[in-house]
Amino acid sequence: MEKALWYLLTATRGGANRARIIDALTERPQNANELADELDVGYKTIRHHMEQLEEHDIVESGEESYAKLYFLTDRFDKYRETFEDITEQMDT
Amino acid sequence: MAMGTLITAAVVLAGLNTLLLLPLVGVWIRNYNTFGTGLVGGLVLFAVAMLAENAMAIYFFFSMASFYSGDPGVQKVVLILRGLQFVAIAALSYTTLR
Repeated sequence: MEKALWYLLTATRGGANRARIIDALTERPQNANELADELDVGYKTIRHHMEQLEEHDIVESGEESYAKLYFLTDRFDKYRETFEDITEQMDT
Repeated sequence: MAMGTLITAAVVLAGLNTLLLLPLVGVWIRNYNTFGTGLVGGLVLFAVAMLAENAMAIYFFFSMASFYSGDPGVQKVVLILRGLQFVAIAALSYTTLR
């Protein structure tokens, strides 16, 4: 998880946006549409990021197919400190 | 002319590597500015070094200076190394840009 976070956030093209998604979900669970609006990123792009984040067990989503909510996983919470380290120098 | 073919193939690969490395360097420099972490700094250094090597090879090829010896055995090794570089860079591009 720790390495996945480093890689997903700092080494990839969408890293900064993924970090912003995690920040947004820290406030409250949201669906892809809400995230797209809040971060001013396209819906498709958000969906792609969510797939990546789900694949690495950073977020999980509810069962419903319409407007499904995304949550940060319990496992991610254990690594919140790593996340803070990574995003320390980010100006959000 | 087998020798010429080998070195030409190596230069074509160097061109492909250069094309792939440019967006990688761009992404990583941008992320380094965002996060400023050691990991992505290392990725920038790695990509820049590889870019310099490949660009240099192309430059020497076209300026006709002999960078590598004219020995076909050596050229074969260079070609294989270039091929390995290409596979490595392509894999990195896939994970970085998707």
